[in-house]
Amino acid sequence: MKVVTGVVGNDIHVVANRLIDLSLRARGYDVFNLGVNTHLEEFFDAVVETGAEVLMISSLNGEAEGWGREVKLLKSKYKTLDDVIMMIGGNLVVGSGNTEEIMSRYKNYGFDLVCHQVDLNSGLDMLQELLEQRGIS
Amino acid sequence: MSLLQEEREIILSNEYVDAFDFAEVAEFVSNASKELFISHHFAKRQKMLVQPRGGFPTYEQQYALYEYFVNANVDVLPLTIDSNTRLNDYATAKKMLRLSEENDMDMLNGYPLVTHGYRTTRKMITHFDKPVSLRHGTPDARLLIETAIASGIFEIEGGPITYLLPYSKNFPLDKAFLYWKYVERVCANYSELNEPINRESFGPLTATLVPPAITIVIQLLEMLLSLEEGVKSFSVSFAQQGSMNQDIVTGAVIKKLARYYAEQIGCGDAAINLVYHQWMGAFPTNQDYADQLINLATVIASMVGADKIITKTRQEATGIPTKEANAKTVADTQYTLRILNGLPNVVDEEEEEILTLEVKAIMEAVFNDPADTLWRKVFNSIKNGIIDVPFSPHIINQNEMITIRDAQKNIRIIERGNVPIPDKCYEYEKAQCDLTKDTTGIVNDIIHDIGIMQ
Repeated sequence: MKVVTGVVGNDIHVVANRLIDLSLRARGYDVFNLGVNTHLEEFFDAVVETGAEVLMISSLNGEAEGWGREVKLLKSKYKTLDDVIMMIGGNLVVGSGNTEEIMSRYKNYGFDLVCHQVDLNSGLDMLQELLEQRGIS
Repeated sequence: MSLLQEEREIILSNEYVDAFDFAEVAEFVSNASKELFISHHFAKRQKMLVQPRGGFPTYEQQYALYEYFVNANVDVLPLTIDSNTRLNDYATAKKMLRLSEENDMDMLNGYPLVTHGYRTTRKMITHFDKPVSLRHGTPDARLLIETAIASGIFEIEGGPITYLLPYSKNFPLDKAFLYWKYVERVCANYSELNEPINRESFGPLTATLVPPAITIVIQLLEMLLSLEEGVKSFSVSFAQQGSMNQDIVTGAVIKKLARYYAEQIGCGDAAINLVYHQWMGAFPTNQDYADQLINLATVIASMVGADKIITKTRQEATGIPTKEANAKTVADTQYTLRILNGLPNVVDEEEEEILTLEVKAIMEAVFNDPADTLWRKVFNSIKNGIIDVPFSPHIINQNEMITIRDAQKNIRIIERGNVPIPDKCYEYEKAQCDLTKDTTGIVNDIIHDIGIMQ
């Protein structure tokens, strides 16, 4: 199972990114880590290039809110991304916010899995479940 | 005209520089007060020098900060540069400085030195007559350090590795080496006019579970790159690591090996100093606990025998500290240093031997790279993972090394990647840790180990 991951925007918080990388590998995924400071186009290009089944975006400084709004528009420009599982996690807003509202907002942006301030292993368990549901794990 | 001088004229013919007068600056450095040179204070070796951190956008704010520091009995003043200037975006720095001056709000996270210029800044620095240390994080610091020295700032922090690998994802490392070569040469040339300009490396790196062997190797290499260009005064540094014993061992080994490698390249005449950073990782939000952590760091710096300590503040967890909080740390640290007497001499020969073997093995691998110059050898060694910095965001870094803390909170290497840690040392490091856990357990330990001081 191939996963493209990275931190979106001008966000340089690298620690969680390294731990996500480690944990995904330990669970047997084939990881393509674009690292920090990655823009949306780079994520989608990497998914096309690698043929990844999962795109896992993380955000620490809350920038994802701004980028999230552009996901649908940008994704529609690619022909082969409809089946890709889109996951986002981290600190998804600047400051604080209501988790339910944040979840539904990001689902509207086109994400299948939204993990706002969810610990890493629970998030990865959620991914596992979804993959099993869809019969592609 | 020398090639270097040609390059200097190009760098200084910048639309953001107000007519740089080379002759006048050389005259100023030649006649500058000895008090402004930290190398002069290091030579006296009277006490551990205390240096806080701090930079504000406007001249008036910076001046007020310095007044607070001087009242708190500071030894070395900091000048921290804003992030636009660090990235050579002088246009934005200029605009944000104007906005900061016109509105009562800080639009910059430091002092935009190039924008203020050396004629203005020099007035402040000569007024206080204390050594000033330039703190930035700039890969291409050529214009910045020219402006700094012309202002009377005679200590320059940074280096091609330590100011790049922790801060940047894709600024080209080879360019950074060449830009820093310019910095070293300019510092070396000015050093002939008066007391030496001191260069300081930035040992904390990512401040996240970096093992001492990697820290020391990078300190030594930046020192050698500096000394080979003619710099005569250099400070190696590292930050509090989480275990007092590991800090003491690190201090002993870095002092011994800095001297050894400087002599190896025929630069035994250079002064080499040791700088200790108070805890650089995540701080407790409880400000009283933060004060305790700062105090503990000061005790360890004394045990380590540092020549200078760089302080944090009780507001570290919440953002840029006020000048009051910043000055409080200076006064507290001076007090602790004054009452810390009769310290025991702690030596851990076994740990020193292990660490020395590790550092020497990595250094040897770097020197054995077939490239023709030291900077190219170092570049290749980073590229192929002989040097691997945990948690660096830079694309050139290998990210194969994994470190955790043992029961004594020493940072241990449990996966060496491509770093040539000798087998004997590697087995020793791993034997200190519980490696029966699966990766999920280890990831949880890493998260815990990063946050130990919170």
